[in-house]
Amino acid sequence: MKPTSDGTTAAESTYVPELHVRNVTVRFGGLAALTDVSFTVKPGTIHALIGPNGAGKSTCFNVVSGLYPVDEGDVRFGPSDLMSTAPHQRVSLGIGRAFQNTALSGHVTVLDNVMLGRHALTRGGFLLAGLRSPRMRKEQQLHLDRVVEICEFLGLGDHLQRPVGQLSYGDQKRVDVARALATEPKLLMLDEPAAGMNDAETSVMAQLISDIRSSLGISVLLVEHDMSLVMSIADHVTVLDFGRGIADGTPSQIRTSPEVIRAYLGGGEGPAVLQEELS
Amino acid sequence: MSTFMQLTINGAGSGAVFALLALGFVIIYRASGAVNFAHGSLVLVAGYITVRAQESMGITVAAILGVLGAGVLAVIIERVLVARTRGGDPIALVLLTIGVDVVIVEEVARRLGSSAPFVRVPWANEVIHVGQITVLKGQIVALCFGLVIIAVLFALFRFTGWGLAMRAQAEHREAAALMGVRNTQVTAAAWLIAGVLAGIAVLFLATPDFAGGGVSRATHSLVLVAFPAAIIGGLDSTNGAVIGGFIVGLTGAYSQQYVSFEFARVAVYLVMLAVLVVRPSGLFGTKEVQRV
Amino acid sequence: MALALPLYVSEVWLRVFEYAMVGAVAAIGLTLLSGHCGQLSLGTPFFMLVGGTAYAALAADAEAGSDLVGIGLPPVIAIVGAVVVSSLAGLAFAPVAGRVSGIYLAVATLSLVFLGLYLGQRFTEFTGGAATGRPAPPFTIFGFSLTTREPELTVLGVPFGAQERMWYLFLILVIGGIFLALGAVRSRPGRSWRAVRDNPASAAAMGVNVARARATAFAVSAGYAGLAGVMMVLWFGLLKADENEFQGSWSIAAAISLLAIVIIGGLGSVWGAVLGAAFVFGLPLALRLLVPSVPLLASITEGSGGFTPSVITAFAYGSLIVLVVIFEPGGLAAIGRRITARFGR
Repeated sequence: MKPTSDGTTAAESTYVPELHVRNVTVRFGGLAALTDVSFTVKPGTIHALIGPNGAGKSTCFNVVSGLYPVDEGDVRFGPSDLMSTAPHQRVSLGIGRAFQNTALSGHVTVLDNVMLGRHALTRGGFLLAGLRSPRMRKEQQLHLDRVVEICEFLGLGDHLQRPVGQLSYGDQKRVDVARALATEPKLLMLDEPAAGMNDAETSVMAQLISDIRSSLGISVLLVEHDMSLVMSIADHVTVLDFGRGIADGTPSQIRTSPEVIRAYLGGGEGPAVLQEELS
Repeated sequence: MSTFMQLTINGAGSGAVFALLALGFVIIYRASGAVNFAHGSLVLVAGYITVRAQESMGITVAAILGVLGAGVLAVIIERVLVARTRGGDPIALVLLTIGVDVVIVEEVARRLGSSAPFVRVPWANEVIHVGQITVLKGQIVALCFGLVIIAVLFALFRFTGWGLAMRAQAEHREAAALMGVRNTQVTAAAWLIAGVLAGIAVLFLATPDFAGGGVSRATHSLVLVAFPAAIIGGLDSTNGAVIGGFIVGLTGAYSQQYVSFEFARVAVYLVMLAVLVVRPSGLFGTKEVQRV
Repeated sequence: MALALPLYVSEVWLRVFEYAMVGAVAAIGLTLLSGHCGQLSLGTPFFMLVGGTAYAALAADAEAGSDLVGIGLPPVIAIVGAVVVSSLAGLAFAPVAGRVSGIYLAVATLSLVFLGLYLGQRFTEFTGGAATGRPAPPFTIFGFSLTTREPELTVLGVPFGAQERMWYLFLILVIGGIFLALGAVRSRPGRSWRAVRDNPASAAAMGVNVARARATAFAVSAGYAGLAGVMMVLWFGLLKADENEFQGSWSIAAAISLLAIVIIGGLGSVWGAVLGAAFVFGLPLALRLLVPSVPLLASITEGSGGFTPSVITAFAYGSLIVLVVIFEPGGLAAIGRRITARFGR
């Protein structure tokens, strides 16, 4: 798949901004979900957030997409201060995300679900849409073509007209990724893209993610439990534990980090599995 | 000043009655996740039974029959219809109770014809003088009676197994629904209690002291005033329902006196809108957390 | 077929269909709001009242010695004005409609019915009040009236009086309403509404301004309601404020019957809304017309039981709502789809 070049996006530059998360603290009631978390996603890298359950990975995601308010610290995307950007405006800056439990409309077709990703790239309210103005139809066709291209890239070409609810879980995860890609992001955020997938599906997903990065040149921020996937495709890894960043580096640096090993062993979460993955 | 005191007492009296109704909404909402639009028909059925029975059996027996009738009807609605709604989607449940309400109200109204008989409570049409102020006995009885019932209810919530189960179910409804576990007895009991409260409320609503006239369609729409009470307090807060009830009662009483009778009906709703704009989940309601 | 109907059907039956069309227009707006955006509203009759009042005030000529407000605009402009005014009224509700979701909104919009009752009785210079009301300004275009029999016209031997003409006016309005709704549902606005309905957080992450989408859907449904209000006033030939909140054209009963249309037709289905309206709005009038010729019906409706056509209709749609919710959440639209699928194969 190529970066879009048909004039459907306003900002066609290949410039990919850095994501800076700086000293972010988030509290729910009295509980701190994140404490003083910092990391930077460098342009064009695949950056993984890992950590035991409840470490604050998803909270981190929701902070970047603006669903949770930040109590302290700030988040910047290139020159833009995300703290003063409403959630729905972050898409236009180039932040697209997929969800842990595919937040799709089950009764609606694949194509229609993915077309939602074009929302910020298109115009037209009730009257224009209702009157079916020729300009709007032409514009819609262009976007439809691009969306079909994205779906085919993700191997969804055969399912375009099927309601999402009828697809397998793995396919639904891909629809969710397709929808995020349809926003033409500079930073693609994937929340556990391989959750619930078998080994074969997981490796397909891993390949897809690295294809997306190499063909589009965008950054990918990834939360994932599957260590083999993370270690095989990530350029950079940030490890969270109990809402704090405990390690940050390349996969090989993370493997040998004593804090990380302690956190996983101490957390009791499949130490054997991790040992196996890390070694 | 004496006018103000008088209004406050009258407002508190009707506030207590609205609190009973609002508590019914909250209890049902916590148990089933449904906003019960059929609450007005429970009130109407209780009123109908009472006015039909009071001639032959006397008001006490008639009132008990009416209250039980509303309770039983509520349980039937829950068991036969609400419990069967697929997935327990809150919007589907709202629509369901609207349908139930239409049928029941239409049937009671048909039976009543053009008559609107009062519930003949012994305290109707009497006034009490305290110093300079004159208040309706009905409002005082409503206030005292209402407060006692509210106290009993809160004791139930706090000290009984049912109350505990209710709280657990309300707090973990999502998890409970996911696992297909919903304690049917707890839910049915919630509807029973809500129905009983509706039945008690009509003993005050359909009296000459309450401005609403006798048992009729108007009684039913009077119940709609309890909706704002529940919403103002927060649909899932029992404390909120009581406070919401009194806010509604007092707002009605003051605006009737200081603005106009017609405006009083709207005033209650304007207060509700103002609360919703500031706090979309009501004063004490749990904020909806977006799960993704 | 619809075009030629006035040639075959008597005036009284045309009126039944016309009334159903009033319900259809209001219900199309409501099905967009409830079915696609997931926002329940009981406020539709309020916006109908706003639309009807705006039309009457804009189209009527100012008369000396009358308190009634009349601007004297051409009726076509007055209709457009009425739709604009009611949409704006819907938009003014945005602080609530945009922030409050689903069932909370259902209760919040209940307040609009009470507000309408109050305003309708208070501002009699606009509404004509609850006692007498005010006459509906006839709808004329280029001097040709579409709601009265002036000038006289006969087509194929059939005199084209008020009802025949109003049929065509209403048909155009309904078709226009369906056309716009279908176009919107199948493209960008419809997609954003459904996203908000199914998952507001993910909709926001896709760039949808959730509050704005909800407020827009509400304003659109208010606009449809406003048009339906104009039609209602033209149909009655009269604008009249309600006497109480529980019965009348702008009452809670009206709000619930509109919701019934949408549920029975299938939440979100535009054609279902039209079918549902034919049932809920058409049935009581049709029953009334059938009473003289069907003895069984006459014995029921005129007996001592109080089973008037409107009571029968209420029973019917009340129980249909229950049945639809429990057994067929897709409503008539889903049943229709299943039938066409069977015959299509």
